[in-house]
Amino acid sequence: MARYAMVIDLDRCTGCRACMEACKVENNTPRANFWMYVFRFEEGEYPNTRVWFMPRPCMHCDNAPCVKVCPVGARYKRPDGLVATDFDRCIGCRYCEVACPYGVNYFNWKRPERNQYLDWTDAEAAAVLAPYTNGAVPPYKNPDLERAYGPERRRIAGGGHLKGVIEKCTFCVHRVERGLQPACVANCPLFALHFGDLDDPHSQVSQLLRRRSHFRLLEEASTEPRVYYLGGKPPGSDTRQIETIRARA
Amino acid sequence: MAMRVEPLPYRVGQISTGTLLLIVVLLGVVAQGLYAFSRQLTEGLVVTGMRDIGTMGGPAWGLYIAFDIYFVGVSFAGITTAALVRLLNLHALRAVSRLAEVLTIIALILAAFSVLPDLGQPLRGVVHLLKYARPQSPFFGTFTMVIAGYLFASLVYFFLDGRRDAAICAARAGRLQWFYRLWAAGYRDTPAERERHRRVGFWLSLAILPMLVIAHSTLGFVFGLQVGRPGWFSALQAPAFVIMAGVSGVGLLIIIAAIVRTTLEAQDRLTPEVFRWLANFLMVLTAAYIYFMLVDWLTATYAAPLHESRVTSALLFGPYARIYWPSVAALVAAFYLLLRQFLTGRYSIAVTVLCGALVNVAAVGKRLLIVVPSQTHGAMLPYPSGTYTPTWVEYSIIGGLIALGTLLYIVFTKVFPVIELPEARQEMGHR
Amino acid sequence: MRATLTRVIVLAGLILAAMSFALALPLRIPGVTVFATAPAGSDGAVPYLPALFILGIMLVFLAAVVYELLPDRSPPPWPPAGAGRRR
Repeated sequence: MARYAMVIDLDRCTGCRACMEACKVENNTPRANFWMYVFRFEEGEYPNTRVWFMPRPCMHCDNAPCVKVCPVGARYKRPDGLVATDFDRCIGCRYCEVACPYGVNYFNWKRPERNQYLDWTDAEAAAVLAPYTNGAVPPYKNPDLERAYGPERRRIAGGGHLKGVIEKCTFCVHRVERGLQPACVANCPLFALHFGDLDDPHSQVSQLLRRRSHFRLLEEASTEPRVYYLGGKPPGSDTRQIETIRARA
Repeated sequence: MAMRVEPLPYRVGQISTGTLLLIVVLLGVVAQGLYAFSRQLTEGLVVTGMRDIGTMGGPAWGLYIAFDIYFVGVSFAGITTAALVRLLNLHALRAVSRLAEVLTIIALILAAFSVLPDLGQPLRGVVHLLKYARPQSPFFGTFTMVIAGYLFASLVYFFLDGRRDAAICAARAGRLQWFYRLWAAGYRDTPAERERHRRVGFWLSLAILPMLVIAHSTLGFVFGLQVGRPGWFSALQAPAFVIMAGVSGVGLLIIIAAIVRTTLEAQDRLTPEVFRWLANFLMVLTAAYIYFMLVDWLTATYAAPLHESRVTSALLFGPYARIYWPSVAALVAAFYLLLRQFLTGRYSIAVTVLCGALVNVAAVGKRLLIVVPSQTHGAMLPYPSGTYTPTWVEYSIIGGLIALGTLLYIVFTKVFPVIELPEARQEMGHR
Repeated sequence: MRATLTRVIVLAGLILAAMSFALALPLRIPGVTVFATAPAGSDGAVPYLPALFILGIMLVFLAAVVYELLPDRSPPPWPPAGAGRRR
């Protein structure tokens, strides 16, 4: 059994947000939902300031607060380390969201079609798009995201973006199960993101973690995250975002 | 015996024009709530003021959860009063015991209802909770204890305690005679039956008391066990929930008792003595809560970690100060008035009712302040701080729930004597 | 008889509640298949255990109704003054 982890090299990250883009395209996440998010930080006082960037996927914690509190077992920890959300099980209480110290959970506040960048049920939009799509399924109905995964055969890839359930980064379980890298990792132009098996001593993530000093976010909360950061340091008390996204669903 | 035409006590079965008007208004408010709920069901929770914690800068839990814990808190009154009467033989409070039991049952129904609009998938919620609920989640204790331990146990207690009065009412002809007969279930008020009921009442209240502590504590654990939300993670959360429940429950009971006293002309039963007991009880609970608040306040300002202190400053000086300080002021004012009554020995029903209202305003405020600020200002990563303004949908649904509760209460007072019938009438029961 | 029945119901309710609570915990005991099916931290052994737990607690309190409503056939086990005498 693999033990998946993500390693993010802060020394390489330039805050281009290509990972956010890749995530949105791959998972068709609704408007204002960022399963992958890149903080753009600054620290210090002028003229001694420092700017740095920190991608924030779901941490897929080993001791995940969201898994503990889920009242119906929709959020669960897979043996390979992925923290999965079964959208057929979720009742939409958002307890996982308030329990998570990292703020990675996104609720589907709207009906799926209304929450996409384009409302495909809108007659006018449909007429414009007809020549290009040939009546294909709308993008938020990506069949890969609808399938059941893992030995327990539960639908955890976040397809459909059903109204009233919680979703978050899946580590692209639909790609990982086929031996592919998560979309954000595969699309990072600077190879700042790495994904692999910690149990394999020759995997890139194992080698990087052996060679370089690293930290995990909010280790004091004893959540045991599976996302490791190389270089830099965790955000401190005077770390502030340069510009903030305030998109509200 | 069907010849008796003497009206039932406490205006049971009589509906005045004023009451009818009130019922119509309440039905209107309930209808508005239902309409708002239907909007929310079709559009999704986007029609509320809640949003995701983090980049969206909102609280994921808002008014619904705040009022859910308020309603569960109010339910404290019934069981406590029953237990005080049964276990400590406080006969002064016998007259309010049924008022309190009805309050408990209705408050618990409202609590169960107020969770439903909070769920993104309410229908799934009902089925999946029964099917998959996990004991590791603090929700498990909340929903099983509230439904099974608390609501059902209260219903059992309420049913058994009402049999004697039902038997008295069943002795008279009327449209509801079948209902009283059903409730009385063959009760004839023999000494053996009375003895049997005394035993059952004693054991029931003894068994329900731990339920009370468990139910209110698990509600506190919903918040107190969350390491990821500064301002919530505290061992004080569970006991403070129990005490705050008592404050709001007894406060509301005082208000209801005063209303019933004047509208149903029950001055002979709901004596100043009853209010004196309730006022003193409320004073002790309020004092305990203020103590908890001070301890919490000192801890959070003296040596709190970074994120904890950010939440605290948002509460004390930030956007929540306009809710925080009035709530504290209401609590302190109520305590001062109650203490003055206690020290001077001059009790006034009006002042006691004012205190009941004050602590309930404070309770709603404090509930909201427990739920929301830790979400909008308690992010442990440098997210921007969030905001929360409830929308008309949330206000309508909460208003509808309160109206529904009031309606249920009024309807109950019209079909059953809401005050235990006095001993003198008991002969009618087993003629 | 009535008191015995009440005790039996209380006991049955407590046992039902305790058992369903224990089974609903996703305990993973090696070798015991019923405890090893669900992914860690998710489901209980079988569905509807929470409903059974609620039922168990309800049963405990229902015993009070049984105790009070069930007519005595045998003389009551406690003999307070004037018990048995009925008008």
